[in-house]
Amino acid sequence: MGLLRDDDRAQLQKEFEQLTNAVKLVFFTQASDCDFCPLTKQVLDELVGLSDKIQLETFDFATDKHQVQAFRIARIPAIALVRIEAGQDRDYGIRYYGVPSGYEFASLVGDILDVSRGDSGLSAPSKAALAQLKEPVHLQVFTTPT
Amino acid sequence: MAMESDFVTADMVDASEFAELSDSYQVYGVPLTVANEKVRIEGGMPEQMFIPQILQKFGVPVKLPGQ
Repeated sequence: MGLLRDDDRAQLQKEFEQLTNAVKLVFFTQASDCDFCPLTKQVLDELVGLSDKIQLETFDFATDKHQVQAFRIARIPAIALVRIEAGQDRDYGIRYYGVPSGYEFASLVGDILDVSRGDSGLSAPSKAALAQLKEPVHLQVFTTPT
Repeated sequence: MAMESDFVTADMVDASEFAELSDSYQVYGVPLTVANEKVRIEGGMPEQMFIPQILQKFGVPVKLPGQ
């Protein structure tokens, strides 16, 4: 049985019709010792099935060291959101740690739409302020699914 | 924010799944945003409050509404 309800699936399919650029979900998992990896995979498989603009690439956290380092993955399950621009990856540095369910699922869907569009949707003053930043800022947003 | 600045990386972390990490940041309520090790913002708020609160701590001359 799927995780998404039929009406949710239809709603998402409709939203994803807006996707312009393809978005790649880079999933980091592990064969064992990762309680939430199988459920995360299931969510991602369902999501990817809703649009041909959403791609899934899977790496093993234990063995694909090069990719773990390249995407700076700290723990699993992890998802990196990457925009495909003219066949090239554009990594904005957006990561999801944990099963994207509940509130986080809605947030992930919103991020997929933004990343595809290549526009954060922030106001002009916010964008101007962010453009002045000159040092690395690592944001960690702690949430719970409900 | 991560989309607008190459300096910004943004992690969404499920606090309940990563209890050890949450404990280390003393997450007692969500959402909690931690920027590097020096800024903590508890609760959700509009963008025009949230972004200046963070950027002010990182040398960007930006005003909060009402400042």
